[in-house]
Amino acid sequence: MNGPVIEVADVAFSYPTGTMPVSGLSFTVGRGEVFGLLGPNGAGKTTTIKLLTTLLRPTRGRIRIAGLDTRREAVAIKGKLGVVPQDNNLDPALDVKGNLVFHGLFHGLGKREAVRRAEQWLEPLGLREKAREPVMRLSGGTKRKVMLAKAFLTEPDLLILDEPTSGLDQETRSFIWQQIVQHCRSHGTVLLSTHYPEEAKRLCDRVGVLRVGRLEETDQPAGEGIPAAGKIVALTPELRRTSTSGGTV
Amino acid sequence: MNFVLAMLIRDFGADIRALRFAMIRLVIQPAVYLFVFGHVVGGMFSAGGSHYAETMAPGIVAIAIMSGPVTLIASSILPGYYYRTLEGWLLAPVSLRLLLISKVLGGVLYGMVSGAVVVGLVWLLLGFAPASLSLLLAIGVTAALFFSLLMLVVLCLPRTPDKGQEAFSFVLMPLTFFGCTFYSHSMLEAPYSQLALMLPTTYVSEGLRAAYNPSLPHLPLEQVMLGIGVSTLLLLPIAEWAFRRRLRDFLW
Repeated sequence: MNGPVIEVADVAFSYPTGTMPVSGLSFTVGRGEVFGLLGPNGAGKTTTIKLLTTLLRPTRGRIRIAGLDTRREAVAIKGKLGVVPQDNNLDPALDVKGNLVFHGLFHGLGKREAVRRAEQWLEPLGLREKAREPVMRLSGGTKRKVMLAKAFLTEPDLLILDEPTSGLDQETRSFIWQQIVQHCRSHGTVLLSTHYPEEAKRLCDRVGVLRVGRLEETDQPAGEGIPAAGKIVALTPELRRTSTSGGTV
Repeated sequence: MNFVLAMLIRDFGADIRALRFAMIRLVIQPAVYLFVFGHVVGGMFSAGGSHYAETMAPGIVAIAIMSGPVTLIASSILPGYYYRTLEGWLLAPVSLRLLLISKVLGGVLYGMVSGAVVVGLVWLLLGFAPASLSLLLAIGVTAALFFSLLMLVVLCLPRTPDKGQEAFSFVLMPLTFFGCTFYSHSMLEAPYSQLALMLPTTYVSEGLRAAYNPSLPHLPLEQVMLGIGVSTLLLLPIAEWAFRRRLRDFLW
């Protein structure tokens, strides 16, 4: 497929309460690109990611992933995605390796292949010694690594990462950055949501800045009952990936 | 590997890892019931011309068939909700309906396993074996399906699953004690006999009595099958609706 991997056209999403975290959102991401979604907390980044990963349906507009419509072809789309959500969603009933293997099985891999890939990811992520450790006993950084391994395990066409390095120490952040760049070299497209501008600068080809509210943009106070809306207010095509730890990556 | 099969292995594996608790639930709890109510109390008096233990034993099997789906679905949905494991499952390339099917199927199988363990215990402790295995199986499968759906409804209908857990205490108690598990429907007088017909456990217990010993007083089999069948069919769309709604709210 030659078209963009992500096409978002005039998308809005509103909750039944009337809150509209995303409105008038439009952008595209091409194959092989690392696209950064920047913005402060509450800007609508996580909602945008849930829309892209088919977990939420747009109230208005259209989203296509690899040419597939998120409303009608959610199952096929999910088969192409590797996702690291903002919060850990590891299975507390399973150990580290079990989380990876079952993730593979749920994504249609055969048992042998799922085990092989889990083994393959344990080593580079430094999880070999913790393979049989219940995930509840892991530190925040290690849990994040397991989440990342899950996302990579299925060799997805599109990697969607929602603040993957939030709250992590510098060493783990650098490690995750390295994995993202390596993935991009071998597989392709990445959408990275972050509120660290320096992270976006290091990793992203382009950045979209998501701000809370059209109202904030026009500098008018929000009227009663008028929801805040998030939309991309700036796209910076000039940023190039520079380094993960000082050097060129 | 098929998603449903993988989910079943995950759910059963998670329970086996907590083997101590699984043993208490599957074996020790029903064994105590059977020993106290069947062996000790049951030996003291007769019921409707038959040994009380014989009337009660199918009711204990019914409770076991009910507790299997209750346990499996609660232990899957509740952590899924609070540890966000559900989100991981929702990101798998399968439809929501397939996820629902895998949970219901897990409940059915677990209900069958729980029931089978108690059928064995009844035979070991009280010496009663079912007269009709096919009837036992038919009622067991339908009942396990009903209780799986019921558990999904009770957990998914309230705003948060912990509220569902509270609600289930109010549902579980009448189902266990007023659903003709410890006594036959024929032992009840109006209006209690009519009220008992509103509880699906009544049909399950009475059907199992027929499967164990057709000469025991029990509701007509047509009524039993109709009672379980209609309850299950009514619950099916409600369970799917509640499940979809809960997952939608979970994602919000």
